[in-house]
Amino acid sequence: MTTLPIVNVQRHTLSSRIAMSLSVVALMALIAMPWWADSGWIRWAVELSCYIAIAQMWNLLAGYAGLVSVGQQAFIGAAGYALFVLCQKFGVNPFLAVPLAMIVPAILSVPTYLLLHRLDGPYFAIGTWVVAEAVRLVTTNLDFVNAGAGLTLRVMTQYRLHEREVAMTILCAILLLVTVGGSYWLLRSRHGLALTAMRDNPVSAGSQGVNVSRLRFLVFIAAAVGTGFAGAIYYMAQLRITPASGYDPKWASISIFIVMVGGIGSIEGAIIGALLYFFADRFFSQYGAIYMVVLGCLTLFMAIYARGGIWGFVSSRFDAPWFPVGRRLVLPNDKGT
Amino acid sequence: MSGNPLLSVQGLGKAFGALRVIQDISFDVREGEVLGILGPNGAGKTTLFNLISGDLATETGEICLSSEKLTNEPPHIRCRKGIGRTYQIPKPYGGMTTFENLLVTAMFGAKLDEDAAHRSCAAVLRECGLADKANRRAGSLTLLDRKRLELARALAGNPKLLLLDEIAGGLTDQESRELVDLVRRIRERGITVLWIEHVLHAVLAVASRIIVLNFGEMIADGAPQMVIADPDVRRIYMGLEA
Repeated sequence: MTTLPIVNVQRHTLSSRIAMSLSVVALMALIAMPWWADSGWIRWAVELSCYIAIAQMWNLLAGYAGLVSVGQQAFIGAAGYALFVLCQKFGVNPFLAVPLAMIVPAILSVPTYLLLHRLDGPYFAIGTWVVAEAVRLVTTNLDFVNAGAGLTLRVMTQYRLHEREVAMTILCAILLLVTVGGSYWLLRSRHGLALTAMRDNPVSAGSQGVNVSRLRFLVFIAAAVGTGFAGAIYYMAQLRITPASGYDPKWASISIFIVMVGGIGSIEGAIIGALLYFFADRFFSQYGAIYMVVLGCLTLFMAIYARGGIWGFVSSRFDAPWFPVGRRLVLPNDKGT
Repeated sequence: MSGNPLLSVQGLGKAFGALRVIQDISFDVREGEVLGILGPNGAGKTTLFNLISGDLATETGEICLSSEKLTNEPPHIRCRKGIGRTYQIPKPYGGMTTFENLLVTAMFGAKLDEDAAHRSCAAVLRECGLADKANRRAGSLTLLDRKRLELARALAGNPKLLLLDEIAGGLTDQESRELVDLVRRIRERGITVLWIEHVLHAVLAVASRIIVLNFGEMIADGAPQMVIADPDVRRIYMGLEA
């Protein structure tokens, strides 16, 4: 057997090194917020982190695994409720309860996927919505979790505001590391290569050795856990959860808007979309129904005229990825970028 | 050519509703053989490939590779066991580069580690004339390059059996000759080839045996010159009087 010559493969670019440095600075700034920002800003940071995380998980699900879910609120509400129950009913430290609460969406995702995995496209989407509604109805009828009246996180009163803010910003930094950093790590790995192939052509990926059904199953569980993590943090910050808020279908709408407008199938797109939604929500939500109509029209416009979203538009003009997941073969006389 | 059967297809059958597209087809393919598959449109040639690669589930019959039964195995397992394939209508991963398209098969089909896959795919790209397009998005390639990519991607999986589905369609004479040379080199490496093709001179130049399908049934099986001279084949496939 002949030995093949060594080849050089480039995985980073100048733009990705800059983006990586800025990401580290942003995470440090987030953790340090209790010492330099007021409580209103910290609330905003928590909210934005949750939007980015939820959208990133939905992007992994719909943008790579081809599983368009409109029922991710099932995992948000389940993790939120798990956190409140662990703290209020079993006296678990709330900051320890956050990682423990992720067990519930992980467990819930297994039968959900096994039930729905034979469905395709719109049928799968409707199935996820039905499951989320079923979980909401079960929660509404459970006296153990105070039924439709919901739960309040009273244990948080034992901590000073500053302590809560320090814990929340650290949790948000971990959330972003796990969801955005985790997605980046996953997509750069060999499994990411398979996921990207699946995104482009699942039939072809199967015939080239990729176990499409197993990968979809694992992505579904990972997305449920990541979404649940964000849900637990979001409702911890709210200090209150009810079935109507925890399992609110608006979470699905937010995910779809962020990913479709930002750019499906890219880490950068979910971040851009989350920022856009966050600022639109801050400054235009006072316009009520008109604001929702504008967001809906923008999503529709992107779906028809710019499938790649904002990031797709930018990346088609400038080859400067923030989070490159590809492999560039460096050819002779090729200095790369 | 060692003469051992690499692929054995016995009593294969498939129907789409009331339409029987493959009917009780049986044949063996020996190691190192290049088997051409001919037949008019709708004869069931691509369906036969889909059954062998696992893209379609079989209804009756058995498929064995190196005496190992694969009939109920999913496509990714068949690929890992050594069945590589191309598609008649190319199915590249459009958002990935040409190089990355090959890496998927090398790392998941051939189970190579990352470094070995890089080296192997770079070599396959050179062999298939795609080295200068390694970093181009597959979705932006021309039809000819997409066909080359289909072949290169299948080769990246280091297959024992290669299923080629009309890769010469739309090529110029010069391109066809280059393709035939490439298939010869593939055969010389010991890879067994099943080749569906309408470009007769291309497949006849390299095939050691031909089978002909018509309405899902096998109507001829033998040496190329014998099959081409067969009155039924001339009438059904070539539209010539015997």
